[in-house]
Amino acid sequence: MNIPMSWLRNIVNITDDTATFVDKVTAAGVKVEGIETTGEDITRVVVGLITKLERHPDADKLWVTQVDVGKETLQIVTGADNLNIGDYIPVALHGATLAGGLKIKKSKMRGLESNGMLCSIDELGCTTDDFPHANNDGIFIFLEPHPLGADVVPIMGLAEEVLDFEILSNRPDTNAVLGIAREVAAVYNQPFPQPKITVAETAGGHTNDLITVEIRDAEKCPRYIARVVTNAKIEPSPSWMQKRLTAAGVRPVNNIVDITNYVMLEYGQPLHAFDISAVAKQNGRHAVVVRTAYKGEKITTLDGVERTLTDTTLLITDTEKPLAIAGIMGSDNTKIIDETTTILFESANFNAANIRQSAKALGMRTDASARYEKGPDPNLATACVNRAMELVEQLACGNVVPGSVDAYPTPRLPRVVPFSPANINKRLGLALDANEITDYLRRVDITVRTKNETLEAIVPTFRSDITSEVDLAEEVARFYGYNRIVARHTQLVPIALPFTPGMTPRRRFDQTVRGTLVGLGYFEALTYPFESPKVADKLTIPEGDALRYPLTIDNPLGEDYSVMRPLTIGGLLSALAYNAAKRNDTARLFEQSWEYVPHSLPLQALPQELPKITLAAYGPDVDFLSIKGDVEDLLSTCVSGRLIFEPLTLPWMHPGRTASIAYKPHPKRDAIAVGYVGELHPQVARNYEIEARACLAVLDSDVLYEALGARKTTFTPPPKFPAMTRDLAFTVPEGVTAAQCETAIRERGGALLADVTLFDVYQGQQIEAGFKSMAYSLRFIAPDRTLTDDAAVKLLTTIRANLEQKHEARFR
Amino acid sequence: MLEKLTQLREEIKKALENATPEAIEALRVKMLGKKGEITAVLKGLGKLDAETRKAAGAAANELRDWAQTQIEQAKSAAGADQLEQSLANEHIDITLPGKRRGVGRVHPITQMYDKLEQLFLSLGFDIVEGPHVETVYHNFDALNTPPHHPSRDRTDTFYFGEDFLLRCHTSPMQVRIMETQQPPIRVVVPGKVYRNDEIDATHTPVFHQMEGLVIDKNVNMGDLRGIMELIAQHVFGNGVAIRLRPSFFPFTEPSAEVDVACYICNGKTKTEPCRVCKDSGWVELWGCGMVHPEVLRKSGIDPDVYSGYAFGLGVDRLTSALYSITDPRLYFENDVQFLRQF
Repeated sequence: MNIPMSWLRNIVNITDDTATFVDKVTAAGVKVEGIETTGEDITRVVVGLITKLERHPDADKLWVTQVDVGKETLQIVTGADNLNIGDYIPVALHGATLAGGLKIKKSKMRGLESNGMLCSIDELGCTTDDFPHANNDGIFIFLEPHPLGADVVPIMGLAEEVLDFEILSNRPDTNAVLGIAREVAAVYNQPFPQPKITVAETAGGHTNDLITVEIRDAEKCPRYIARVVTNAKIEPSPSWMQKRLTAAGVRPVNNIVDITNYVMLEYGQPLHAFDISAVAKQNGRHAVVVRTAYKGEKITTLDGVERTLTDTTLLITDTEKPLAIAGIMGSDNTKIIDETTTILFESANFNAANIRQSAKALGMRTDASARYEKGPDPNLATACVNRAMELVEQLACGNVVPGSVDAYPTPRLPRVVPFSPANINKRLGLALDANEITDYLRRVDITVRTKNETLEAIVPTFRSDITSEVDLAEEVARFYGYNRIVARHTQLVPIALPFTPGMTPRRRFDQTVRGTLVGLGYFEALTYPFESPKVADKLTIPEGDALRYPLTIDNPLGEDYSVMRPLTIGGLLSALAYNAAKRNDTARLFEQSWEYVPHSLPLQALPQELPKITLAAYGPDVDFLSIKGDVEDLLSTCVSGRLIFEPLTLPWMHPGRTASIAYKPHPKRDAIAVGYVGELHPQVARNYEIEARACLAVLDSDVLYEALGARKTTFTPPPKFPAMTRDLAFTVPEGVTAAQCETAIRERGGALLADVTLFDVYQGQQIEAGFKSMAYSLRFIAPDRTLTDDAAVKLLTTIRANLEQKHEARFR
Repeated sequence: MLEKLTQLREEIKKALENATPEAIEALRVKMLGKKGEITAVLKGLGKLDAETRKAAGAAANELRDWAQTQIEQAKSAAGADQLEQSLANEHIDITLPGKRRGVGRVHPITQMYDKLEQLFLSLGFDIVEGPHVETVYHNFDALNTPPHHPSRDRTDTFYFGEDFLLRCHTSPMQVRIMETQQPPIRVVVPGKVYRNDEIDATHTPVFHQMEGLVIDKNVNMGDLRGIMELIAQHVFGNGVAIRLRPSFFPFTEPSAEVDVACYICNGKTKTEPCRVCKDSGWVELWGCGMVHPEVLRKSGIDPDVYSGYAFGLGVDRLTSALYSITDPRLYFENDVQFLRQF
């Protein structure tokens, strides 16, 4: 909420400068989020001195002045009659801007050049409130000399500091100038100077004779006060009021509307003014009925839009028609127009939740609805309507009819909250006595009484946030000072099982995976877990596939962020595309993220969130074998047993360059699926605008974690005797896989064969078409002796035979 | 005889001058080999008479020992020269770039998580994670959120029907922990959270929190402040000032925002306005408070016996603060030129 500093200073005695003030109130929870200085729109208005003053030769009412503005003397024509030679006055130079944005230019007045304008206080956005000595009709005359040509903004204090206060959602009472002032007074430990309101009631008759009010839904409308003003004169409000409204961000309309808005700013409760001539009568009196709308009932609001209502929307009606959507906006036919003479002022309280729902359903959040949504105190209504009547009389907008009609079926009473100082101290870590606590509470108008040896706090009705002892503790802490509460570094004692303080093994596993992948050259990426349903198109997932029915957010930021991803790869592919667009020649990324899999749609239970480790990369050194190698390195840190790679087809992967990954924890056990690795389908790469060949791997994090858990690290002493290495080169038909060759080698290698390493594959010159050359390095170790050449030759012979027999291997 | 020995000595001396290793070896063979000249002299000693043999033998042996030493020394000197020569030839430009595969980096947000976890682990906290898709009950109701609190709005929180949503904070795990666990409780909950905010220079719809919850007997606001100070100092360095400022969260009372002294300008007046703290000298970084008794009660913990505090660290905000990153969108672009800086 925006409040000019001067307005607050008018209400509370603040001796501090603004910066100190801001620090003090912010520390007590009245946070100033920003300070804006207004009056900065007034430019090129400087101090001038009248050196010559003559009647305009051709116009009786004009004066021709010569004004010294320091560097030069200007001829300026004016209509004001209050000037004398030697007066210091504000001069708007050619190109100046005045309050309200008026631009001043050189001109001719009745044939004589006028090089600017002499200014009144109004033109500078001020009133006689600001400068009591000034003349409303004439030019402003400085009381003392100022340097000629100097900017008048700082001299006249035209710059106004407007403070933006953060309003906490549980404190509707502070959404008002007086509410903030009350907090400020509490911070400064001053009694709050509650404004006194006097209404002269200059019209005849009584409101009761003019108006009836009937509330048909007291839950949605706890209170409704009506007052009447006759002989209304609709005109602009005075500039001081307009200035404050504008500073607070409210657009001035006319005196009556501005009064309702001004009181709303002061007290926090909206008011509404109706042209009473549009309110139908019943038994000779204007009959106001507060009821919910009929389903499909229509109203044209004062913005000229016809709106169709639901049966939960609260209406202000007469016996014939809706007059306003309660708390949100009036109807077009009851709005205050220049011809309005008799006005019905409504000061009502509406149910916050209902206003919120209606405003949302209608898509019309107004200043009024925004306040009602916060739930102002129904007991404010009296002060609000009376303050409005006082202003009507002060501004001479009309005559106030004596009395009011106040429908208030169940008045809200102060809440009684029992408390114990010991509990408050225990919570805050303080040792205050009951008197100190009472004193802090008194600052915010909470009184304390003793009943049956228990202390009870009597909480004023505007503090709807205070319902229990802990709320009182917060009030005490606020005025004691949060930052005077001293830190306590208690020895933290170990917590008993089943909690095992420390990093869970799972979290440690995730951390280790990150460490390994970073070591392998991968950067960790973070992407949004929601994505566009069009990702399924980009990934060329067939129609009807389960992946096309993901968990969908009801109210997403937009379609691009609407589905909880059923596959983790979309985010990383977009990230690869982003890197490619930045012309980064290599990008290796990984992410630890989740697949979101609903059990059923719509959701009946929490969906599965399946953790995955996803790798995605492109670059000159990235290909199927490089990413497969990275995956093998990663798996070697958690999986024991043989890894099995088999050809795999997935819609988004290259059909000839993708492998499923599984591992056999034990030769006699079933293989366990881990995930897949491969090259992205070129069409999918094109869909993502990735020009390079991109590679992917997706690993099931749960499986890896379980594999790591199941792995038993057993110690085998390193061999005592040296190994013997022999190379084996042969050709086989190109359809024979490396895995088949290795199996054939191992089958005959026996216990002595320790390692089999493929170090070369070649097809081309010197190799018969349809064949490929494979070169392996075999490492033999015996636990009990240094192997002889003979032993190796024997083994190699049987291995060769096996390769020849099974795979048509030829040796040279 | 002696003449012969003197002559050989001279010959050896001369031959060893600037000799190559090969020449030295040739000399050794020529002199000390099986058919070498010194060997021949020694063999010939037997033919001499006893008197002469004694003197000549001593001189010949002396010459042999001397020659051996000289030749060994010359050999090793020549070898050293040659090694030096070859090492000189192997000189390379050591400023050539190394052969790198290149290491990656852990994301700066995750690094901040790791940093925070390090602190909490040392304080004996447990670390648990919770589901992203939550129930309305755990995310709001059980946390004492009023029925019409704005955070429940569909403009604020992402929903799946009436009962499920994307958690808008990590606080639902407070409830899940308290439902299954009696105090003492000391736990932090890292995780992604979701809010219906348009993506702009200060908002992303996904960000990262770390929730903290401590429940025990006799826990008070002084304990809360103690931990808040530790967090600030652990992240920003010893001596950094913090300020607790009254605020409102439905699930804590009293509630506070934690402001940390502006890491850019430290609150000092200067010519340029500080865009980080807007010259207030403080940066709002996270919220905290004493757990509301209603929240304890709803989760089956007796608020008359136990009390506690909770806090919700904004990990993105802390990371931004630590590195002066002003646009959180950078965290989700995953440009390696950004990621490799951390």
